[in-house]
Amino acid sequence: MHSRNHMNIFTHLALRLMAAQFNFRPSLNKHLKSADGWTNFSIGLKTETGTMEQAIVFQNGHARVLKYIPEKADAVMRFINDDILKETVRITPNEMLNLILKNKIILDGNMAYLGAFNFYISLIMGRRYQRMLDKANLLEIKSRKEEYGINDPGFAKELDKRKESRLKADTIDAGVKCLEDPYLSEYSIEAFPRIKMRHEKHFNATPEISSERPVLLTQWYRRHGFEKDSDGNPWTPELRQAYAFKYLMKNKKPVIRKDSIIAGTTCPEEVGVLVYPDTSGTLIWGELGSISKRVLTPCNISKETAGQLHDIFPFWAKRTTRAWISENHGYPFCQKIDERSVASFNFKTVSMSHTVPDLPRFVNDGTLAIIEEVQQQIKALAPEESDKRNTLTSMMLCLEGLNAYAANLAKEAKTLADKETDPQRKEELNRLYQTCSHVPANPARTLDEAVNAAWISWIGLLMENTNVSLSPGRLDQLFQPFFEKEMGSLSTGDEKKQYLEHVIELISCYFLRNAEHHNLVPDVANYLFGGSQSETAITVGGVTPDGKDAVNDMTYIILKVTEMLSLNDPNMNARFKLGVNSDTYLKRLCEVNYVTVATPSMHNDDAVMEAFSQNSDKIEDLRDWASTGCVEITLSGKHMSHTGATSVNMVAGLEMALNNGYHPLMNWHLGPKTGVVANGDFKTFDDFFVAFAAQQKFIIDNTVELNNMAAEAYAYLRPTPLLSTCIKGAVQNATDVTKGGAVYNTSGSFNIGLSDVVDSLMVIKKLVFDEKRITFEALKDAIDSNFENDPSLHAMVHKKVPRFGSGSAEAVDMANKLTGLIHGCYKSTKNFRGGDYTVGFWSVAQHVAYGTLSGALPSGRLAGRPFAPGATPDPSASKNFLDNIRDVAQLNPHHMDNNIAFNVKLVPGPDDSREKIVNTMFSYVKTYFEQGGMQIQFNVIHSDVLKDAMANPENYQNLLVRISGYNAYFVRLNKEMQIELIERAKYGL
Amino acid sequence: MKKTLILELKGNSLDDGPGIRSVVFFKGCPLSCIWCHNPESKKTGVEISFEPNECVGCNTCLGTCTKNALSKENPFFIDRTLCNLCFECVTNCPSNALERVGHEMNVPEIVETVLKDKPFFDTSKGGVTFSGGEPTLDMDFLGKTAKALKENGVHVLIETCGQFNYEKFNELVYPHVDLIYFDIKIMDSSHHKKYCGLPNKTILENFRTLYRRYLDGGTEVLPRTPLIPDITDTKENLLAIVSLYKEEQVKKTQLMAYHPLWRDKNLKLGISLPSTSEGKMGEWMATERTKACEKIFTDAGIALEP
Ligand code: SF4
Ligand code: SF4
Repeated sequence: MHSRNHMNIFTHLALRLMAAQFNFRPSLNKHLKSADGWTNFSIGLKTETGTMEQAIVFQNGHARVLKYIPEKADAVMRFINDDILKETVRITPNEMLNLILKNKIILDGNMAYLGAFNFYISLIMGRRYQRMLDKANLLEIKSRKEEYGINDPGFAKELDKRKESRLKADTIDAGVKCLEDPYLSEYSIEAFPRIKMRHEKHFNATPEISSERPVLLTQWYRRHGFEKDSDGNPWTPELRQAYAFKYLMKNKKPVIRKDSIIAGTTCPEEVGVLVYPDTSGTLIWGELGSISKRVLTPCNISKETAGQLHDIFPFWAKRTTRAWISENHGYPFCQKIDERSVASFNFKTVSMSHTVPDLPRFVNDGTLAIIEEVQQQIKALAPEESDKRNTLTSMMLCLEGLNAYAANLAKEAKTLADKETDPQRKEELNRLYQTCSHVPANPARTLDEAVNAAWISWIGLLMENTNVSLSPGRLDQLFQPFFEKEMGSLSTGDEKKQYLEHVIELISCYFLRNAEHHNLVPDVANYLFGGSQSETAITVGGVTPDGKDAVNDMTYIILKVTEMLSLNDPNMNARFKLGVNSDTYLKRLCEVNYVTVATPSMHNDDAVMEAFSQNSDKIEDLRDWASTGCVEITLSGKHMSHTGATSVNMVAGLEMALNNGYHPLMNWHLGPKTGVVANGDFKTFDDFFVAFAAQQKFIIDNTVELNNMAAEAYAYLRPTPLLSTCIKGAVQNATDVTKGGAVYNTSGSFNIGLSDVVDSLMVIKKLVFDEKRITFEALKDAIDSNFENDPSLHAMVHKKVPRFGSGSAEAVDMANKLTGLIHGCYKSTKNFRGGDYTVGFWSVAQHVAYGTLSGALPSGRLAGRPFAPGATPDPSASKNFLDNIRDVAQLNPHHMDNNIAFNVKLVPGPDDSREKIVNTMFSYVKTYFEQGGMQIQFNVIHSDVLKDAMANPENYQNLLVRISGYNAYFVRLNKEMQIELIERAKYGL
Repeated sequence: MKKTLILELKGNSLDDGPGIRSVVFFKGCPLSCIWCHNPESKKTGVEISFEPNECVGCNTCLGTCTKNALSKENPFFIDRTLCNLCFECVTNCPSNALERVGHEMNVPEIVETVLKDKPFFDTSKGGVTFSGGEPTLDMDFLGKTAKALKENGVHVLIETCGQFNYEKFNELVYPHVDLIYFDIKIMDSSHHKKYCGLPNKTILENFRTLYRRYLDGGTEVLPRTPLIPDITDTKENLLAIVSLYKEEQVKKTQLMAYHPLWRDKNLKLGISLPSTSEGKMGEWMATERTKACEKIFTDAGIALEP
């Protein structure tokens, strides 16, 4: 029997007070209800030490408190001890989150209901909560100012200056047919006043949560049922999704933004936040009252929207991927590991659409042609093939929905045109009327139609699929024929110039349309994945499917727009094929990277294709690869690649191997028992590596198991018939892409902590086993005490062992041994759709988050410190950047078929000319590629500038930085991530 | 095989000639400029250095030194009159606070090491720079190394103080070099002797000869002047340099602004700072001062390399 103490009484009284308020104050009581009736759920609270156990149950409009946690409690909060429980009473929601992240409070069960519970608390706390948040905000701003305290307005000016004195191209690529100076050096954003205005708006507007999508969808489902239709028959999931989608598209507000030459928006709000209650949207429940005041990425939410979402969320609380898995698989062990966010994290619970759809199909053929094909397929079916018929019918319904939306946009354009007094704008609106009347139903005839068709179908895809990492792919290839044709029809230089300027504005407008919706970021994600947005990856360059140079006029136009706007999203990726693409093109990529500080990311076609050849033997398909989300590889338009399915913290496996399967921070013996250091169980380095491999396999097996369950949930909860119309194979197989309809079916993993693990293994191997300079016990003791008692050992592990990135062949071998192990673990599994897992070494922002959740390591990295990002060597590896480049280039591509992120900071000298900077960057990248390197990306900035930006964010709203694979605005990052960027390895230019 | 003493092979240098370069620093120099930026390269023999900021105070070294040369009381930590350079302490120091300065290397070792960077030379039009110390101290060695690199298609540059035997240079080194950075420091020979230890006669003769050969289609020579406050950057000295350049039809030069980073390096090697290292010699050179020096050259129609 546990001994309860005064905290038990205290918690009991607090919950009683809460219950009484909800029972007796009608203004509060009404929140216990939604359109579905009373919201019934129960929350348990307990300490791990057994000093407290209570529960609160909301049932039929009444709240009551129990002195025990009922067996079927929807969610339980476990506090690791009394102190943590006491602390939570005094702190802001934001600090509470920190405790959850640090595993001081452990959450089990349905997070949506915990959100509801938090929301109820915020209702009671009212203004006090707001004041606490205001105070926390001020403190946060102050602490950032104090961290480094630099204030030099000159820094911000230096960044602005980069936009001037632009280089000119010195050769013309074979694919460039029209541009005289492919670098378009004469243009800056100043030449495009409307774009400039919209660009400023983008940075100044606070995003607003949009209720349009969740409200319309939930309306439909409430009317027509989710599991069963209104007649009580079980729904075919594809049909249900298709009808709901069609309803949404028909009723969605058709918006044409002022001055926009592209019709349609994802949200009616100027800068909207898309909400997907059908996956993870309910995570925001607890923040409905506080999101506008939170420290990081606050967004506005109207009273009406908050009310609507609070009404909608109960409908979805039990229909999320996580809830479904828990319900159908009895809250499995793999889910419990995942929910601690320490060893792994599954993203399928948020989205499955990290892929590159076949946009050319919408643009070049049009939806009517697809409908025609679907109808042919249906005709060919045997009568008993009703599943296939349903699947195909659902695809057709979705396409009809998309067309209905385009028709509404056409109507809107006409209405606006009729009212418009400015003749130029009137003409534009009339053109939009004609455009939307024609596409995406029919093949696009002009570039304006092509871009509008691409965007309108994109809106459809985003209404169906969560806006995470769905990527348009190779837009330069898609748009070039239209550009060439129209340019070719013009005769005078003036006409051509005018048209070119129109195209730059059109593409800028397309970028801004993409950038103007934000994704919904629960505060926890600010800390786990700070600053990440939709990760809409656009890819340029490389080769065509038949192997020719793919760099063309549109490549350079897209790069110009990238340079002018410096947006974090779309996420720009550039392919480079050695021997085919020109140095002029690669230099331009470097120049854009320099001007924007952080984009594009550059990929070596040879290494990528070699890596991915294990998943496809069709060279034309490999040549048509495009980046997805951050850096990942998708074979365009025929590959359901869910490239960001799951992340694994490789350091957790190392810690578990050092502790016989126990994870210290989780305080949980979850892994297999593989040996005790203190018992001398490891006689050789290989003995230890076997233990380490067993722990990695354990974590990977669990994360795969969960991901496969999530895929099963997805196929039931949220099949994607519209996406299925534009990924080859699904129509032909009459199978939704969530069920394996695509030609290629893989799931992507990204594995974090590469350098930290390699360097740690090197320390163990060299110092303990090869050189026997220290005992394993002594090393283990030093780690357990965070090296506090042993500075000389701490110095020794840093200085006497060669690290990955130092030019040591032995460390490179160790890295390949590690990547080979991880690759092997994944390849021994299959995903839900029968495909393989792909293996990547990039880290989004989780090298920081996982770092805070990991103890000291043999490498000398101290507890809580960030890992090196992606596949980047640790800053201490070498003072010579070339050592870094060479070592990363030697990573075996066959172990990395989901790509890597190699990310360093370059610091230009104050007097370096632009030519010198660009030429040096070019040389680094080209040589890295020649040596076999797969991917590289730079932050071209001095740490002092970042410090200044941390203290004076108002001067740096537009400052782009690359985290690991994605871009973010530096000033919107959490403090830990800002510091990590400041401390990241840097090399002079 | 014959070895010579190398201070450091530094890769990825962006400021020692065109493109990305590897710099071979030789140890030892015939001059002894009081402001020398690489004091660790002055002496010809190996040395031991101590970096207090790296020391974690574990005292391991105290136990390993049989000569009792180490003491925390000693401001330089190492008593170099007692130390016999056995480097036992260096091997055992966990933090590399104690380090050996100078390593014997032969030609193939140097060539093999720097050739690893060749792919970067090729994409950046860079190469190898021989610096020091004074690379021409061992002409035979320098010539052989340069030749081996040239045979591997590497661009070779030497940075020299100009104090060498011309005949030997011409025979052993000149054929294997693509570019010569030639220091012209002080025109007044007695000043030169005072600040650099030797008169400048040989240096100026060598410069004139090499420059004339350059103008006749020989290897390119770029004269360079370090701007040392009140020593080389006086108007008088700079004007004297300008007139030398006029005589020799020099169209281009490079000026290197003074920085005081060498002072800490001296301390690491147990060398007390000379009294002249205070005042202006303790600071980075102000931009206005550099600009004024530059103007003397540009006014005379001599361009400046960045
Ligand atoms: S090198 Fe040898 S003699 Fe000199 S201080 Fe070190 S241990 Fe003592
Ligand atoms: S061994 Fe190295 S770190 Fe330890 S006291 Fe001596 S110099 Fe310092």
